[in-house]
Amino acid sequence: MLKLKSYFFIFLAMSLLATYACGEKDPPIEPTPEGQTPYIVEIPTGFPQKVYIPDDNPMTVEGIALGRHLYYDGRMSGKAKEGMPMSCSSCHLQQFSFENGIGKGTGTIGIQTHHVMLPHVNLLWNPGTYLWNGSVPSIEADVLGTITAPDEFASTYEKVEKAIRAVPMYPPMFKAAFGSEEINVNLIAKAIAQFMRTQISSNSKLDRKLRGEYQFTQAEDRGLVLFTTEEGADCFHCHGAPGNPLMTTHLFYNNAKDIEANFDLANDRYSVTGDVRDKGAYKATTLRNIELTGPYMHDGRFTTLDQVIDFYSEGLIYSNYVHPLMHKVFPPYGYGAGLNPQQKADLKAFLLTLTDTTFINNPDLASPF
Amino acid sequence: MKNIRFNNKYYIHLSIILGMFLLITTSCCKDDTPDPDPVSTTGKIHLDFDFKIDGNDIEYGLPKYTNAAGNVYSLYEVQFFISKLTIYQNGNAKELKAWSKEHYVDTNIPTTMSWDVVDDIQEGAYDSLSFVLGFIDADNQSFMFVNKPEVDMIWPEYLGGGFHYLKINGKWEIATDTLRGFAFHLGRGQVRDASGVPISFIDNSFKVTFANSEFSISKNKYTSMTIRMNVDQWFKNPTDYDHNTWGGDIMENQPAMQIAKDNGWNVFELIK
Repeated sequence: MLKLKSYFFIFLAMSLLATYACGEKDPPIEPTPEGQTPYIVEIPTGFPQKVYIPDDNPMTVEGIALGRHLYYDGRMSGKAKEGMPMSCSSCHLQQFSFENGIGKGTGTIGIQTHHVMLPHVNLLWNPGTYLWNGSVPSIEADVLGTITAPDEFASTYEKVEKAIRAVPMYPPMFKAAFGSEEINVNLIAKAIAQFMRTQISSNSKLDRKLRGEYQFTQAEDRGLVLFTTEEGADCFHCHGAPGNPLMTTHLFYNNAKDIEANFDLANDRYSVTGDVRDKGAYKATTLRNIELTGPYMHDGRFTTLDQVIDFYSEGLIYSNYVHPLMHKVFPPYGYGAGLNPQQKADLKAFLLTLTDTTFINNPDLASPF
Repeated sequence: MKNIRFNNKYYIHLSIILGMFLLITTSCCKDDTPDPDPVSTTGKIHLDFDFKIDGNDIEYGLPKYTNAAGNVYSLYEVQFFISKLTIYQNGNAKELKAWSKEHYVDTNIPTTMSWDVVDDIQEGAYDSLSFVLGFIDADNQSFMFVNKPEVDMIWPEYLGGGFHYLKINGKWEIATDTLRGFAFHLGRGQVRDASGVPISFIDNSFKVTFANSEFSISKNKYTSMTIRMNVDQWFKNPTDYDHNTWGGDIMENQPAMQIAKDNGWNVFELIK
């Protein structure tokens, strides 16, 4: 009797051991904090499948809602009570594709930004090279830099945290977004970044053409050919083509704007990489909504699209550092694509197909206040 | 408390039930660890890519090289696709395409400069390997890449569509200390009507083979080789390529692209 009983318990232990050993070996999934709802990004037709979302800042519905409020809240400068309210939206207006429409921005203490604003559009696909020279690796880092930059908020983390903590609606929103009512600048930056990754423009005429919903006019078609041919204007090598609807390569080029003596080596791409090939180089910004985002170039030297087209047609300036893809620079002067008036008009017609009025009127991206 | 006594029969029955449970749980157990394969007879290929001009490492951005036509030039970057990687053994060809049928190489992106080919390859001696520079027409489909960096190789629809096979961007000296950019790009060529409108397209891809390229595959090992591009070779043999003649861009210039295609036969070298 005793012997059989012993066998039974040995057998029982072996069974339990076998069951345990066969259990699922994947690491336990971190539970989603109560109240958080994962936000699923819908990739628009033809857009890259590869998106850039930091592992430590997954997008959630609650995080995006919080970020949207902070994006538009003048108390984000931490200086509203001093009469200097400022938020991201002060210089990034939806009607201008989240750019300011006037060129350089002016911070809370009256200092102007070194470069003109860049639009907040389709940053979900930015591979980690923010600003004109690509010196900032993430949206989160950009937000943190904005708080202290003298030409932007000119504030401190402590002031911003104190100002946001003092707003009764925010602690519950932080709890909903991050699981705790604790408020600090890192979480503020994360929330704003989540919102900014939803600023997706994908309903321009070009997008609709690619989806078979719109037929280009003859002028728009001719403009597309000029845009994508070397014997035309050859814009596509740096700004993409219909197969790259972001309309940027996110790369950096010296596009023949200046003689070498006028390079701004302390602020251009060379200041980041130290690579001689990057002297005088800046990001080839997205042309999406280009109609809305003037003045143009890193310093806002051109106020209209016509001026930009004239520049690429006959205004290029020679230096030894012009990128090779600017092969229409004919030394020692410059020159350009040499477009006739009809071609310029056609090229402009194509550029205007990149305007997305759905984006600039999207209520989900508008101020919640 | 009531004293419950179990008899032998009870333990026997319970043991049978537990035995069945044990049998079921162990048979359903997911086996994440593959059995060691004592009879594995396959290995793999690892490829590295590097670049030389006149046999030397390249200093990018500096106009210190002279091509066969006498042009002093600099190099900014090289980007290209290879596809249809194929190995040969005793007259039999096997295309390696288990995971991807192409590989993108970009001198600006170090991670593209090596390729662990996924295919399992039977151990043994092989005669040679080959690949296609770019894509044959059937493989060169527009919109097949949507992500960076490959998407930056788009070849416009109007010019035939698909993707660039090759980009070599650099500059050449047109006068002392005066440089002009060249975009030595290869992709589909165009046949045009009298008004200059493209009416059909030309497959400019070509197969690259290597002389004396025997290699062997050992079981459970990577065989590493380096594919070297000798950039200077693009500009000579059989035809000297003069930038002053062909200018800064050639995507719409089939004769210039034909020279690139013809010169490409010995641009690559296999280092074992």
